[in-house]
Amino acid sequence: MKKLHFQPIKDKADEIIRAVISTEEVSKCEKELFALRLVCDELIVNVVSYAYPENEDGYLDVEIEKTSQEITLRFKDGGKPFNPLERKMPDINAPLEERQIGGLGIFLTIKQMDSVNYEYTNGENVLTVKKTISSN
Amino acid sequence: MENTFNVAKDGNVLNIVLGEELNTSNAPALMDELNKYKNQGLEKVVFDATKLKYIASSGIRTIIFAKQKLGGNPEIDFVNCAKDIYSVFEMTGIQEYINFIEK
Repeated sequence: MKKLHFQPIKDKADEIIRAVISTEEVSKCEKELFALRLVCDELIVNVVSYAYPENEDGYLDVEIEKTSQEITLRFKDGGKPFNPLERKMPDINAPLEERQIGGLGIFLTIKQMDSVNYEYTNGENVLTVKKTISSN
Repeated sequence: MENTFNVAKDGNVLNIVLGEELNTSNAPALMDELNKYKNQGLEKVVFDATKLKYIASSGIRTIIFAKQKLGGNPEIDFVNCAKDIYSVFEMTGIQEYINFIEK
């Protein structure tokens, strides 16, 4: 398992996203790379933007596990408890003129991954996403 | 990485040439730029996505913003949309409200 530790994370979303997607484990998932990039983007931006409203020194740990069939990404932060899966999902059948602008990021994450789990444990938000990968 | 955009108004049409990415680092700037064209009688907003390889939800919000907030409910054209990006549109159901054009 690969572990990446980022601290502080304030204003560093882009840098963190690029570090995660350029790991060998992620970058070699060629067919799934777009989906993994999208998910990293949504989840990392959320943590960087909202997890530590009053702490300039907050951290984000990203753990990456890969088998021949599946890739798992685990995002851990010590910020305020927040379960993104409890967010109201956007109504994708509503006409575009009436769409709510928020909530799309976690919605796309759920659509792109095979599983998305959240738990709050040992003072950390832990969000785990898994995706089946093709052999490449 | 080239991720800028270019916005130009031509009569009642707003032409937006996108760079390689529309994500959290550049979508807010595009949103600010679009804000300048509010209530100017736009009938159509054309996104030229010929170079676009990646879009995040913040980019999709920009498209929804163009439809909802510019005034006059303009048509939305998307030129040369890559397959991966079209798939993201499909997941959100917004492809039904976009004219996809191949040039």
